[in-house]
Amino acid sequence: MSGLRRDTRYLLATTAPGVFFIVVFLVLPSAYLVGMAFLSNGSYGLPTGPLTLDAFRELAGFGFLGWSPGNLYTLIRSVWQSLLATAIVIVIAYPAAYTISRQPVRWRAVMLLAVVVPSWTNQVIRSVGWMNIFAPDTVVSELAVRIGLTEAQMGLFPSQFAVIVGLVYNFLPFMVLPLYAAFERLDIEQVEAARDLFASPVAVFRHAVFPQTLPGLMAGTVLVAIPAFGMYVVTELLGGGKATMIGNLVARQFVQASNWPLGAAGAIIMIVVTLVGLKVLRDLGRRVGGDREVLL
Amino acid sequence: MSERRLAVGLRVFWYLLLAFLYAPLAVVVFFSFNAINSSARFGGFSLTWYEQLFSNDAIIGALVNTVALALTSSLIAIVIGGMLGYGFYRYRLRRLSWLIWLIYLPMVMPDIIFGIAEMIFFIAIDERLGILAPGLGTMIIAHVTFQVPFVALLVNARLLGLDPQLFEAAQDLYASPWQRARFFLLPVLVPAIVSSFLLALTLSIDDFVISFFTAGPESTTLPIYIWSAIRKGVTPEVNAIATLMIASVFVVAVISLLAQRRPNASSTPNRSASS
Repeated sequence: MSGLRRDTRYLLATTAPGVFFIVVFLVLPSAYLVGMAFLSNGSYGLPTGPLTLDAFRELAGFGFLGWSPGNLYTLIRSVWQSLLATAIVIVIAYPAAYTISRQPVRWRAVMLLAVVVPSWTNQVIRSVGWMNIFAPDTVVSELAVRIGLTEAQMGLFPSQFAVIVGLVYNFLPFMVLPLYAAFERLDIEQVEAARDLFASPVAVFRHAVFPQTLPGLMAGTVLVAIPAFGMYVVTELLGGGKATMIGNLVARQFVQASNWPLGAAGAIIMIVVTLVGLKVLRDLGRRVGGDREVLL
Repeated sequence: MSERRLAVGLRVFWYLLLAFLYAPLAVVVFFSFNAINSSARFGGFSLTWYEQLFSNDAIIGALVNTVALALTSSLIAIVIGGMLGYGFYRYRLRRLSWLIWLIYLPMVMPDIIFGIAEMIFFIAIDERLGILAPGLGTMIIAHVTFQVPFVALLVNARLLGLDPQLFEAAQDLYASPWQRARFFLLPVLVPAIVSSFLLALTLSIDDFVISFFTAGPESTTLPIYIWSAIRKGVTPEVNAIATLMIASVFVVAVISLLAQRRPNASSTPNRSASS
């Protein structure tokens, strides 16, 4: 009995500081932010009583001038851009993970590191790199002008194209790593059996490779699509007005526009979409991955 | 024949991928040595921008803040996160499944919401109690909060890889909790602690959004400095600061590669391995 109590004491002693940090400095602030969405926007953008749903009405697009779809478009664009980037990341990550998994063991760690290292640099710097490349008069921009993608002196950013490139660049490693782990465990005999039966490369991939790498794909999708949806830096630096995502919309209410309740309402929508996205991907992963451990 | 073509194709693909991954970084480094103020034309090699950098007090201050923030928050995070990972492993049989959600929360929360929530929270606390005014202190708190889960999961993963009988053996020998920690836990956890320290450092240096929203006027870090500087366009000076930060990442990369080469190193310092 006393042993049990001693265990409880050790448990508290070891976990309390970590739990304290997360609860006091993340859960409480988030609850405060959520609550702010139900306040009215007072003078100077500071929230005051009484409790209303005005912020949500404004977020949905109802203003003095009737309804405008701008914010709704931003939400749809956020989902669309993160899904598009995820799809492109998957197309690049599959051959990359496969290539790495077929190398001699001593090379694999180096190649994986080569894929991961750029993501260790600061996210602002990664975008600055693309700003350098996509600026007017650079080799890449000249090439784009030559083939008619853009007009002379314009450069390739800010644009939706630049945002998608930035998103793909940011999140590629998070797809390569879990896919590589899946390829490393791949039962090669299934693949060879399929080949022996004269299956076409497409059929081999579809029936022998794809099902086995699906858990890795699902884990990667969680790691790419979810943070891509909440992206702020890439869209702010590489995207113009036509590529803004909901993160930028929310931030603007706190930084420039000073409408905290509206920003808080946007934040709630972001949290809800993120959690729903996680749940959908997790259920999907459970279904396709069987009893295999899928992220979360 | 088609096997061979596939192999050649994948090789070409791999080099294209490397070009894609390193072009943005290479361009930054390249134009930081540009004699003229342009990121389209190269006007000869020069160290002008680096000289300006090191005579600019604002940049030196930002560099000091960045290093102080990364080191302090990482040190606090490995202690708190390590304890959390251990507690979670040791007492996992209790009804603690809610704890894993708490650990995952900072990892799934969008950065921008994380940062804004902490910003308004710190402002509110400061207004009422006069403590936690935005500055280096609040930035350290914010960084620790997002580093702790990663450290906890890495340490927890290392413990899960151990033979549970080792714990019983330590207990059978009537080792006190302190002795168990000193002579058994700490030695086996060294690789996990080292890699989570490196991970915490890179997480801190990689972060912009959370730092930006929790920073005060006196606690500008290099990423925040770059952020405000590029509002006026990318300059070679910005590229020079960025080059220094890229170089520091490569140092960490080499260290982690050497650590992996060691026979009993267990975990890779990357986010996915910990998730």
